[in-house]
Amino acid sequence: MANLWQKLTQHDGNGWWNLPHGPSNELNPPFEGPIGGAWFGNLWRTLTHGNVSHAGVGFYWLVGFVLAIITLVEVWLFTVEGLGAWFIPLLLFLSLAKFVGVVAYFMHLRFDNRMFTYFFASAMIIGILIFSILLVLMKHASQPVLF
Amino acid sequence: MTQAAATEHHEPVENTSTGLNSRKLMMWAFLASDVMFFGVFIATYLVYRGKSLVGPYPSEILDIPLTSVSTFVLLMSSLAMVLALHYVKAGEKNKGTLWILLVVVLGAIFMGFQFYEFREFAHEGLTPRTNIFGTTFFILTGIHGAHVTIGVIWMAFLAYGSHVGSLRSDNSLDLEIAGLYWHFVDIVWIVIFTVIYLISFSDGPPAGVGPTILH
Repeated sequence: MANLWQKLTQHDGNGWWNLPHGPSNELNPPFEGPIGGAWFGNLWRTLTHGNVSHAGVGFYWLVGFVLAIITLVEVWLFTVEGLGAWFIPLLLFLSLAKFVGVVAYFMHLRFDNRMFTYFFASAMIIGILIFSILLVLMKHASQPVLF
Repeated sequence: MTQAAATEHHEPVENTSTGLNSRKLMMWAFLASDVMFFGVFIATYLVYRGKSLVGPYPSEILDIPLTSVSTFVLLMSSLAMVLALHYVKAGEKNKGTLWILLVVVLGAIFMGFQFYEFREFAHEGLTPRTNIFGTTFFILTGIHGAHVTIGVIWMAFLAYGSHVGSLRSDNSLDLEIAGLYWHFVDIVWIVIFTVIYLISFSDGPPAGVGPTILH
């Protein structure tokens, strides 16, 4: 499990979550596959003949196709009866998958300086905290009925 | 792959305290603030979800098939955007211009869908003043629509720039920054589509209240 986590979050020994040492020695990152290092990184190098450190046209089409399929699955789930309590968590999970797909690959966070990831992730954490606090406060507050 | 070859695929280290391009960092900072901006409106929608005492209610008025198509259109505009950036960076001017134009067209189609939806809702009696669902729905989707409109205008200027040659591979950062904004608009819609349309669709009248007679 620890090994899997390492593979997902690190690439070429340059820890994804480590702060960069400084502009001069920060290659951000030195080599990048689309998903982590290790086995997928090796597959990426094989697929691209070792010449492409960034995603190319084919990869973007693939990501677009996957995102479209996820949207179709979401709409299909909407028509399925009997999901009960699973309906909302499933939709939120698929929505999160699309969110991560766009941010990581279309917005290039996966291929870009990790400082941008910290920036955006910090905002997401603060945003979710504000969101959660507001929901909890309003749940326990006496709400005036407006109209 | 050599270290030098790997390095040339990455952006140069900028002469700033962070080593990052200031304009790009500014856009990420803006997007970070916009996350919180939209987060508050989405939270407000959820706080007042199911609290409307008069109709029309979400289950009576939301059109999921129509919104699914518009969601797909916006998603594909994101794909067009990333391909546009790829071709502009590669110096393929015509392909770059074409894909930026496609972003403009798809963005305009999305706006058309939203305009049609708003008009239909107003026709059926749902305006921002009708009930709390109308207020929170129109504010959230309206602000998102305003973001899309700004993005479409921005992209139209960039398409023109690419056509006349002022947007080239050496200053493709202009397109990359606009692209970040465009993709952000897309991810916000991903959340709105799930929360407002798919999850809230089952929200009907409160217990003891009959359905709304739509016009």
